[in-house]
Amino acid sequence: MTVSFAVNGREVQIACDPGRTLLEVLREDLSLTGAKDGCGGEGECGACTVLLDGEPVNACLVLVGQVEGRRVETIEGLAPPGGELHPIQRAFVEAGAVQCGYCTPGAVLAARALLSREPDPSEEQIREALAGNLCRCTGYAKMVDAVRRAARELGREA
Amino acid sequence: MPSFQLHSPSDLAELTRLLLETEGTVLAGGTDLLPRVRRGRLCPAHLVDAGRLRELRFVRREGPEVVLGALSTHADLSSSPLVRELAPALSEACASVGCPQTRNRGTLGGNIANASPAADGLPPLLVLEATAELRGPGGARAVTLPELLLGPGRTSLRPAEIIERVRFPAPPAPSGQAFQKLGRRNGMAIAVASVAALLVLDERGRIRTARLALGSLAPTARRSPAAEEALRGAEPGEAAFRRAAAAAQADAEPIDDLRASAAHRRRVLEVLVRRALERSLDRAARGRRP
Repeated sequence: MTVSFAVNGREVQIACDPGRTLLEVLREDLSLTGAKDGCGGEGECGACTVLLDGEPVNACLVLVGQVEGRRVETIEGLAPPGGELHPIQRAFVEAGAVQCGYCTPGAVLAARALLSREPDPSEEQIREALAGNLCRCTGYAKMVDAVRRAARELGREA
Repeated sequence: MPSFQLHSPSDLAELTRLLLETEGTVLAGGTDLLPRVRRGRLCPAHLVDAGRLRELRFVRREGPEVVLGALSTHADLSSSPLVRELAPALSEACASVGCPQTRNRGTLGGNIANASPAADGLPPLLVLEATAELRGPGGARAVTLPELLLGPGRTSLRPAEIIERVRFPAPPAPSGQAFQKLGRRNGMAIAVASVAALLVLDERGRIRTARLALGSLAPTARRSPAAEEALRGAEPGEAAFRRAAAAAQADAEPIDDLRASAAHRRRVLEVLVRRALERSLDRAARGRRP
């Protein structure tokens, strides 16, 4: 069976079992390894967060047959390969919000969804937006700081 | 993930036919079902995805009632101005589910059909006296939530029958409602205990109607008739709320599990009941509808 959907603005058609998870197809078939499996596919950790029609979802709990005709954005879609980092990515680097990096793609995408809906979020809104993204080394204070920085930066650009 | 066949019907009739033919399991948001399949607790040969039935994802007012499509997500319900205005307890409960990723996928229908004693959406729906409209091979029927919820993970849904809509009367003014939940932490927490309350006041400011429902405190989410009786006709305030909190114990049957002990749940119950009632009164008194 063929599943068609858009990934990072590009239409893809994949011949596969529609019951495979979106996470598996992104990583194995499309070589987009930014989304990670952190909790064994339980939807507990957020490391596999991608944007589905602009909203953060755990790709381990979405079957690829469920994204037919829909729009998926992964961390790879945020900045062109070899090009400059996206302002949110830059803010994470500058704020020291990246250590091992495993949770980073998911956290950056959760932040992106927040900032596209709410350009000037409160700390509470930032913490709520990141509540589904577990981090075991950097800690959340620097991530909150990074999202604030990114909001300022994006506000200047706008 | 263990293997199963995924079916993706595009309308309700096809969904019903596939569920009947394959004896499959209906898949909505998948936030609860897919982890269970992965852990091997559920081994369906067929999953029938309801996700393409966009007509089951809506929030609307129909005269004196509020009607919610079963595929409305927790995010839809927590952000809906209509739900916030007429069912703030439900809005608060949906906002407290899991995390944004879960709320963007998890659905109202799934929350009900899972029949978890800890489901956040159920205590608010119980105090709103919501009716679930079901559809199956035998046609459509409507049941109350207490008729639907039989036990932990058990419902009175018949084979190939699904929840299509949920409907409840918009509460009269002046009334107020609230949802209170205790988890082990703030984000990604399943309820240790939860309480929803709804108070309707009479013209003298006394309690005309009180409804109170408990979550994670019995085999199913359930109303507390004892607490409601203790409140009826009373002057709303600390004394009445303390009596109601004590009375609610009679309707709780908490268990020890990995999240909390039964004794702790009983203690927490009193606090949550008082807070939910105080907040409901506050909202009723502000004349906000409801």
